[in-house]
Amino acid sequence: MISLTVQNHQPFAIKNIPILTLQEFEGSVREGMLTHARMIGLFGLEKTQTETTVIAVLSNPSTSSLHLVGTVFTAINNRYNSFAGVHQQTHYFECELAENHHIIPEGHPWLRPVRKQTVVLDKQPYSMYRMEGEEVHEVAVGPIHAGVIEPGHFRFQCHGELVYHLEINLGYQHRGIEQLLLNTSAAQQNILCESITGDTTVGHTMAHALAVEAISRTTVSLRTQTLRSIAEELERIAMHLAGLGGIANDVGYAIGAASYGRLRTLVINSSALLCGSRFGRGFIVPGGLRFDATTEAIELLQKNLSLVQKDVSTINSVMFDASSVLARLDHTGTVSGEWAKSIGMVGPAARASGIELDTRSQFPYGAYRYSPLPLITLSTGDVFARARIRSLEIDESIRFIFEQFENLPSGSIFNELQPRAKESGVISMVEGWRGEIAHCVFTDSQGSWKRYKIKDPSFHNWYGLALALRSEAISDFPLCNKSFDLSYSGHDL
Amino acid sequence: MDILLSFQGLLPFFFIIGISPLLVGLINKQKALLTGRIGAPVWQPYYDLLRLSRKETIYATTASFISRLAPVVSFAAILISSLMLPIGYVRPLLSFNGDIIVFAYLLGLARFFQILGAMDIGSSFEGMGAAREATFAVFAEPIYFFTLGSLAFITGYTSIYDIYHSIHLDNPTSIVFIIVSSISAFFLMVTECSRMPIDDPTTHLELTMIHEVMILDNSGIDLFLYQYSSYIKLMVYAVYEASFFNPFSMQNHWLGFSVFLIVLVLLSTLVAWVETMIARFKMKSIPQYLLFATAIGILNLLIYTFVRH
Repeated sequence: MISLTVQNHQPFAIKNIPILTLQEFEGSVREGMLTHARMIGLFGLEKTQTETTVIAVLSNPSTSSLHLVGTVFTAINNRYNSFAGVHQQTHYFECELAENHHIIPEGHPWLRPVRKQTVVLDKQPYSMYRMEGEEVHEVAVGPIHAGVIEPGHFRFQCHGELVYHLEINLGYQHRGIEQLLLNTSAAQQNILCESITGDTTVGHTMAHALAVEAISRTTVSLRTQTLRSIAEELERIAMHLAGLGGIANDVGYAIGAASYGRLRTLVINSSALLCGSRFGRGFIVPGGLRFDATTEAIELLQKNLSLVQKDVSTINSVMFDASSVLARLDHTGTVSGEWAKSIGMVGPAARASGIELDTRSQFPYGAYRYSPLPLITLSTGDVFARARIRSLEIDESIRFIFEQFENLPSGSIFNELQPRAKESGVISMVEGWRGEIAHCVFTDSQGSWKRYKIKDPSFHNWYGLALALRSEAISDFPLCNKSFDLSYSGHDL
Repeated sequence: MDILLSFQGLLPFFFIIGISPLLVGLINKQKALLTGRIGAPVWQPYYDLLRLSRKETIYATTASFISRLAPVVSFAAILISSLMLPIGYVRPLLSFNGDIIVFAYLLGLARFFQILGAMDIGSSFEGMGAAREATFAVFAEPIYFFTLGSLAFITGYTSIYDIYHSIHLDNPTSIVFIIVSSISAFFLMVTECSRMPIDDPTTHLELTMIHEVMILDNSGIDLFLYQYSSYIKLMVYAVYEASFFNPFSMQNHWLGFSVFLIVLVLLSTLVAWVETMIARFKMKSIPQYLLFATAIGILNLLIYTFVRH
């Protein structure tokens, strides 16, 4: 495969990305995907009056390498042969490219809008799938929901209680974050990254900080790296607890919902000990950290965590032994490993289907390079697996944090940033609690941002939710939805 | 004398409609305590009803007169059914031969109008809830008839009051009947009143609801009527269950009434415990559960056949 091969967080000059003819580009991407690379980005890098340079980013977990390859489209030659017919994982990326740049994939099986519902992609406006027949009915949920949650539209094609097809329409929260990031000060950029999705604050600021540091060739101390990873794991524990609580709540298991909710509060309060914010806001900045962990904070945090560890194991053993809970979780919303792989699912949801994919161990960064975390996978791919993997990851994260506190390196928590490299780029991948986050960042000839492309794990996994609902009872939708626990704003950007 | 008797007969009715919100409040309070929260005061359902009665009533543009009629008819049917239940030795206002069937179908009428009202609004959610309610009602009806019906067969009476009063404590088989009937009556109560593990009354997820989804588009006084009738319905079934312990009042009225109250409180604890500790069933396995409860009801008949010979 003809491409520029780099590592995670390794800066490169833009001119080193091979810009190929359309045919070579297609061949190269196909070849990459046949050798088990995953697509993590397909976006326009530069746009002039007549030309659009498009970059495809592929990641290969087995070799821990990232591959970049580009091509140029013009206003007339704006069509290419779709990859999605064979490699379903590219489906949504191709839709996104078509929506943003009017570059049309020829022979795409399901060309639909991603964020802008009224956009005309190819020739006619998109209309949703609809089943016809006796006793077939359509259920539309949202975008305004009964609970206080984000907006999204779900349309079910049902026969009685059975769901044949679920279509998910998002984009109601599109804020144009990628554009906003280009023209603001560094401080504002950090705040914007914190709010890409409010529940993965640490994950996204981490990806942002690592990208900025890589492109300005700034190194941070070991202490900074360790404390960052601790914050990231705290976020993971808190959100996994929230997810388990949500699952317990959706099956009507009140004791589980109450216990996990209580423990989550304890964990987010521990995050507040580190940085004053329960959601980890304002902790990580490019160049280091804004707050150092004091000895008292560390002691209190350790105390909290040992309490959480003890209580989590109790409630886990109660919940995962309760036959009434297991009857709801087992064989519900199954996504087979084959499907999960072909649509490119990420994070705990993919690992629950047996996909070995974890940025922390396959593209290690920060403290994970020195103290690796085990890659946990389960094979069943149902709601039970997605719940169980959360509880297993909580155990590992707590163990990791204790290990880090045992010999916390000393050092400064902030290093001044060096000037940014010009005409360069970096791919920054981080494992947020929901899965792989990728920030693809490029600078122009002045060293300011030219393109900032964000990919939240929700971008892949919403499709997984739609597949999980195939031939499932419609009354189990909330449970399946909660087991994926996806972000609307992370998808909508 | 007649007036006095009628007044006595109204006492259970006033007791049921007066205390029913408190029973729900008690369940919610115990549920909160079991999950480690303080919870709303036990009087909260009264405040809720008061609040709803003051709110404006809004109708969907697609709704016809049925939407206006349904809450009233369903409330009235449930009120009448509560006139038929005895508490202690008092003969209720409405008591006649064959009233066990009228009682069942009054509650059926209430449900029928609730289903009609839900379908009339024209939302797919409500239609879905109505379909579920109708399906599970088919499975719930046999529980009632095999429980009370087999007691009617055994005792030879067809009036609820007479059936309860033919159960005597000095007859050991009666005690077996009490135990068996109260088990199936509990299943019936959680099913008919849309409580866990059949339906989750606290969920906010429309797609999983059965009862709650049918009243999603009701507001103001209509919602008041639906809520109040669901409280009364729960109380009616609780009294139906607690009345199996009526024989105690044969000896002493106050003892009987105390036993009755204790059974009510224990029932609320049991409901709260089930709602805390047990996850809700998968919707497709609910019919199995209900058939199981029916089988328990049939057990009475079997026991009777064995004991008679």
